[in-house]
Amino acid sequence: MTELQFGEPWFGIPWLDAILRILVVVGVMTFTVIYLTYGERKVVARFQMRLGPMRTGPYGIFQGIADAVKLLVKEDIRPRAADRWVFEFAPYATFIPVFLVLIVLPFARDWGVRNLTLGLFYVFAILGLNIVGILMAGLGSGNKYALLGGVRAAAQMISYEIPLVVSLLAVAMVAGTLDLNAIALNQADRPYVLLQPLAFVIFFTAMLSELHRAPFDIPVAESEIVGGYFVEYSGIRWSMFQLAEYASLWAFSIFGSVVFLGGWAFPKGDDWPWPWQLFLTFVKSLGFILVVMWVRATMPRLRIDQLMNFCWKVLIEVSFALLIVNGIFLYYDWPHELLALVNWAGAIALLGFIGARGARKARVSQYVGLYRREGVTAP
Amino acid sequence: MTSVPKQFTPTRQVPRQGLAEKIRRAVPNHIPLEFGETKTDVDVRLKPEHLLEVVRVLKEHRDLAFDFLRNMAGVDMQEQGLHLKIHLYSFKHNHTVQLTVECPPEEDHPHVPSLTSLYRAADWHEREAAEMFGFIFDGHPNLKNLLLEEDLHIHPLLKAHPLQEPEILQGIEDGPPGFPF
Amino acid sequence: MTIWPEEAIVRRHGETEFEFDTVDMTVNVGPQHPATHGVFRMLLTVDGEVVVDCEPYIGYLHRGLEKLTENADYRQAMGWWDRTDYLAGLNCEGAWCMAVEKLAGIEVPERAEYIRVIMMELSRINSHFMFFGAFGADVGSFGTSFTYAWRERERIYDLFEEVAGDRMFPTYFRIGGVTMDLPENFEARCRWLLGSIRQGLEDLDGLLTGNEVFVERCRGLSPVTPEQAINWGLTGPLLRATGIPWDIRKVEPYSIYDRLKFEIPVGTQGDVFDRWMVRLAEAYQSTKIIEQCLDEMPKKGLVLNPNLPKTLRIDSGEVYFRTEGTKGEYSVYLMARGGNKPYRAKLRSPSFCNLSALREMVIGNYVADAIIILGSLDIVLGEVDK
Repeated sequence: MTELQFGEPWFGIPWLDAILRILVVVGVMTFTVIYLTYGERKVVARFQMRLGPMRTGPYGIFQGIADAVKLLVKEDIRPRAADRWVFEFAPYATFIPVFLVLIVLPFARDWGVRNLTLGLFYVFAILGLNIVGILMAGLGSGNKYALLGGVRAAAQMISYEIPLVVSLLAVAMVAGTLDLNAIALNQADRPYVLLQPLAFVIFFTAMLSELHRAPFDIPVAESEIVGGYFVEYSGIRWSMFQLAEYASLWAFSIFGSVVFLGGWAFPKGDDWPWPWQLFLTFVKSLGFILVVMWVRATMPRLRIDQLMNFCWKVLIEVSFALLIVNGIFLYYDWPHELLALVNWAGAIALLGFIGARGARKARVSQYVGLYRREGVTAP
Repeated sequence: MTSVPKQFTPTRQVPRQGLAEKIRRAVPNHIPLEFGETKTDVDVRLKPEHLLEVVRVLKEHRDLAFDFLRNMAGVDMQEQGLHLKIHLYSFKHNHTVQLTVECPPEEDHPHVPSLTSLYRAADWHEREAAEMFGFIFDGHPNLKNLLLEEDLHIHPLLKAHPLQEPEILQGIEDGPPGFPF
Repeated sequence: MTIWPEEAIVRRHGETEFEFDTVDMTVNVGPQHPATHGVFRMLLTVDGEVVVDCEPYIGYLHRGLEKLTENADYRQAMGWWDRTDYLAGLNCEGAWCMAVEKLAGIEVPERAEYIRVIMMELSRINSHFMFFGAFGADVGSFGTSFTYAWRERERIYDLFEEVAGDRMFPTYFRIGGVTMDLPENFEARCRWLLGSIRQGLEDLDGLLTGNEVFVERCRGLSPVTPEQAINWGLTGPLLRATGIPWDIRKVEPYSIYDRLKFEIPVGTQGDVFDRWMVRLAEAYQSTKIIEQCLDEMPKKGLVLNPNLPKTLRIDSGEVYFRTEGTKGEYSVYLMARGGNKPYRAKLRSPSFCNLSALREMVIGNYVADAIIILGSLDIVLGEVDK
C-alpha cells in the first residue's frame, strides 16, 4: 500500500503548514457555503419556474453575501425557557464535527489538510458527533417543535448511520484500504460506482437522510414543525446551523465523489497536473449537490415511521447482504467483473422494487378515475 | 308591495310535493306541528320541547330519512322570541325540510335540546347559535364560545345588540377626512 | 406496518399496558403556522409522535359577516360576501345574488347566467389550484407544486381583472345579472386559458399523483365512510371522496347547470388521496363546463335585468338557497321582513362544517399526518370564521 502524504509541508514547518492549510480550507468552505445557498435558491427556482434572487448584483450573485451580512447583524435571541448553556453551545457542537471532517478530504493529490491512513473511519467517527449538537438544540430550546425535531433527527441519524457506514465498508473491502487518498488513486481507471453501484445507491439514500434533505427532511419539516430543532435560533446562531448544513452537504458530496466517483483520480487524474484534479473534484461534487437539490425540488416528505421502516427493513438488510457478498467474493478471489455484475443486479433490483411500488400505487389513481371514472350519475 | 318584475316564473323546484303530509303522518299526533312554505322548502313549526322527538322520527322514518343536518340558524324575531331554523336533508330521497323551533318570547336564554346525539355535525352549529343568540342547548357536550372570545358573553346577532358607530380616525379636528381638492 | 402499534396507542387509556410511563405533550399548531392556511389554531395532544387529542380553535378572522349583512342594503352586502371564501369570491357573490333573486323573484337574462357560470367555474378551478399547491407544500414538496399551481392561478386572475377590473374580489355580479358585458376577446382568451389549465392539471398530476412518497403518505390516511361523512356534515369533495356522487349542481340544479353536461368524480375510500384525486377531476370537469358555456352562450344580449327597482325592498319571505361552493355546500339562509335590508342572513359555510370533523379524522394519526389531513380539508378561514 502506498503511503500518500499531501506533498512536502509548506515552509518546511509542519505546524505552520497545518494551520495554513486549515485556514485555506475553512476559507474555501465559507465561500462555497455562501454560494451554495445562492446556488440552491437559483437551482430550485428554475425547477419551480421562477428566477430566484435577481436583485443583488447581476443575476443576484451577491445574494449570498447579502444574506450572510444580514444574518451576522441580526439580533441573537435566546428564549427565556431555553436552557442557556445547552442552547448557546448547540450550534458549535453541530458545526465543529463538520469542520473536522474537512481535515481528511483530498481535494487533489496534494491538496488537503492531512491524509490519515484510517481516513474513512475518521469520517464515520466524526459524523456521529453531529447528532449531539442537534439534540442539544432540540432539548435546550425549550420549544416543543424543537423537541420533536431534535428527537426525530436523533432517531433518523442514528438509524441511517448504519447503512451509510456499512455501504462504505463494502467499498473499503474492495479497495483494500481506509485511506481516502489511496481509495481515490485506486479508481484511476474505473470509479467504484461501476463496481459497487448498490453501495452507491445505499450511500446516496443514507446521505440524504443524514443531511436532512428531502424526502428525508423530517427533522426540519417546514410545514409541520417549522424548522425543527433550530426553530428558536436567530441571527448568527441560526446561520451557524445553516452553515453546518451546507458545509456538511459540501463535505459529503466531496467525500462521496472521492469514494465512489474516483475523486480527483478518475479520469487521468494521476497523469495530469493539479488543476485538472481540482476541476474533477469540483465537477463531481457539484454534480452530487445538484442531484440532491433536484430531489429536494421534486419529492414530498416521508413520515417518520415510513422513514424508519425503510431504513431498518430495507436498507440495513441490503447493505449487510452486500457486505457478505463482497466478503465471499474477495475471500475466494473471484473476478471483480462478476462482483460488479452481482452488484448491478442488486442495485437494479432495489431500485426496481421501489419503482414497482410507485407504479403499483400509481395505477390506483386511474382506478379512482382522474379523467376516466365519469359514468357515475347523481342519485 | 314587493318590487317584483312581472315575467318571473319559478323554473326549478326541489321535489317537495307531499312532504308535509308525509311528515304529519310520520310524527305522532300529539305533537303540534304547523306547516308552511318558504321559497325553497317546506317549513315545519314546532316547540322546542318536541324538537328531539320530531327530529328522531324524521331521521329514522323510512320515507323521510333525513340523515344530514345541513344548517342551523338562529333568528331573533324580537317580539316573537328567538327562532331556530334547522335545515335537514335526505340523501336517499333528495328532499329538504326546514324546521322552525319557536322558543317562547319571555325567555332570554331559551333551552333547546341538542341534536348532537343524532347528528355529529350539529356540534359547531349549536355552539355558534349559542354564542350568537344565547340559546342553551341541553345535552351539548361542550358549549363553549366558538367564534367569539372564550370569556366574551355577548350575543351579537340579537337585534338588541347594536352595530358599533363607524369611527372617523383621521381629521376629526379638521372636518371630513381626506385631502381638500 | 408501523413501528408503534397505532391501535394500541389510540386505545392506550384502555387495556393497553406500557412498560414505562409516558407523558402526553400538548403542541400548539397555529394561529401562525405555515400549515394552517390562515389564522387557525389546533391544540394537539401528542403521545410521542401520535396525536391523541385535537382541539380546533377558530374565530381569529371573525368579522361579523351576518351582523354586517343585516345592516346593509341587499346590494351593499355583496361586498362582504365575496370575502368569505376569498379564494373563489365569485362563487360567494353568486350564491348571495341568487339567494336574493330567489327571494325577490328577480329574473336574470340568459347571457348573464352563462357569464356567471363561466366565472364561477373559473373561480372553482382557481380555488382548487390553491388546494393543489398548498397541499403539495403540506406533504413537503418544497413549494414546487405551489409554483406550478400559481402559474394557472395568475392567468385566471388576469382574466378576472380584464373582465371585472379586480382579481380576488371582483364584485362583478349584481342582483339581476352582472355588472358589465364581457370584453371582446374574452372567448378566445378563455379557450386558451382552458388549455393552459388542463396542462397545469396534468403537470400537477404528473408531479405528485404518481410519486411513490406522495402516494405512500396519502393513501389510506384517515379514511371516512359515507355514513360518517354524512353524520359529520361533510360536503363537497370530502363527501364525494367517500363515494357519494352528491353535487348540488346536479342534485338541485341552480342557474343553468341543468343544461350542462358534466360528471361528478367520486372516490372510493374517502382517504386523503381520494380527496386529492376528486379535486383534480373536478377541476377538469369545470373546464368542460366552461367550454360548453362558451359554445352555447348567446353572443349578444342584456347582461343585467332592465326592470330592476331603484331600491330593492322585499316584504317577507325566507329562502335557503344552496349552491355548490368550491369546498362543499355553500348555502345562504335569508329572511326578509320588509325594508331594504335582510332581516337575517346566515351563511352555511362548507369549510366550517368540514372543519368540525377534524378532530375525528386526526386522532390516532401522526403529527405529520395531522397536517396533511388539515390540508386535505381545504379550509378557507374567511369562510370558517365568517
